Amino acid sequence: MIRTVAGKDLRTLWTSPVPYLAGAVLQAVLGLLVVDQLASRNQAVLQPLFPLAGFLLLLVVPVLTMRAFAEEARSGTLDQLLAVPVRTGPLVVAKWLAAWLSALVVLAPAGAFVALTALWGDPDDGPAIAGFVGLTLLAGVAAAVGVLASACTESQPIAAVAALFAGMVAWFAHVGDPAAGDAGLLAAISLSERLRLFAGGAIDSGDVAFLLTATAGALVLAATVLDLRRLR
Amino acid sequence: MIRVDGLTRSFAGRVVVDGVTFAVAPGEVVGFLGPNGAGKTTTIRMLLGLLRPSAGHVELARPVGHLPETFTGYDALSVDQQLRFWCRVRGLDPAEAIPPALAATDLTDLARRPLRRLSKGQHQRVGLAQAVLGDPPALVLDEPTIGLDPAQLVDARRLVRSAADRGAAVLLSTHLLAEASAVCDRIVVLVGGRVVAEEVPGSSADLEDRFLRLVGEGSLS
Repeated sequence: MIRTVAGKDLRTLWTSPVPYLAGAVLQAVLGLLVVDQLASRNQAVLQPLFPLAGFLLLLVVPVLTMRAFAEEARSGTLDQLLAVPVRTGPLVVAKWLAAWLSALVVLAPAGAFVALTALWGDPDDGPAIAGFVGLTLLAGVAAAVGVLASACTESQPIAAVAALFAGMVAWFAHVGDPAAGDAGLLAAISLSERLRLFAGGAIDSGDVAFLLTATAGALVLAATVLDLRRLR
Repeated sequence: MIRVDGLTRSFAGRVVVDGVTFAVAPGEVVGFLGPNGAGKTTTIRMLLGLLRPSAGHVELARPVGHLPETFTGYDALSVDQQLRFWCRVRGLDPAEAIPPALAATDLTDLARRPLRRLSKGQHQRVGLAQAVLGDPPALVLDEPTIGLDPAQLVDARRLVRSAADRGAAVLLSTHLLAEASAVCDRIVVLVGGRVVAEEVPGSSADLEDRFLRLVGEGSLS
């Protein structure tokens, strides 16, 4: 069931221009920003790549996920699936899997920057591996939040904007006022802070658990939203 | 078997389906008639488990073949891919289920065409093919002949009848009284959320007179 729905979603998504355009924009902007960073530092290091790629992922993934449930609900195909009946849990996982894999494919050309940096200098392998692990997990969170947003509405633009907003809040969560006394908590839920640690070469089990829990939490919420909508 | 018993649903205190009770036996086609807003779609949504009833219960043989009022497929898929997808979702073997469904809906030659390039009538036939995949024991068809030309309409009626002859319980919601008269063994008429008649359809002209009388009475009550 998960494979069937994910396969259908991948086919539907990748026969549209959306992922190609999203990928092209992401890579173009990422390329410009990374080259600019490397030029200003005058060093062949990978550290600037991951925060920039992470931020751009949060902008691009909502475009990949906005169709997931919103379009199925608008067109009535979601009702056809639920009438079978298909359980909402596997359905949500299938949608997330398709979106997550698509996000990774869109992100994959960023690997070329690692090869280029290796040509110009001698960057450490650790930060490169940890950075891509962090980006992979971050893509999972972004895809899950996007699927959740898409489960809440029949409008693709609203789903995209809601996922974008949630992503930005989570990314900039650490930018709080320390005087308010909650900077520690906000920093803990900040996606940019988590990714910064990965980019430094550290794969901390706490960071991995946080990102996996955030992904699972968003997926459970999405399934709950679908159940509530069906049985309202 | 399709059975609904005392099915009731209210929205914000307004009762839109009120104690609806009827049954469709295997091999039977029952027409579900009523004016717009009578509660047919709400009843069908509860029947399919898409809406929670306020009261009453439903028995429905699974898997159910369902054709919604406005059928939509996945435009990026071909007819064959669309049917393969639904076979897998419903746990059917595509090699066994698809060819008869394509043949019954005269879609064999269009199997490789993407849905986005089909006419409205062809699209509706894909919906019918999807509903009858694997000969389900229950069929719930909401306006199945919308958009079909006269020849396709006759074929679609034949398809519905033959599904029932193979043992399916068929609930057919339609506004076309001639269709109900031609295909259905019984009709259930819903007006204002209540069943106001359950009878043999009889001739088309006769049914039209009775239907208009029932709708008029129901509207006045």
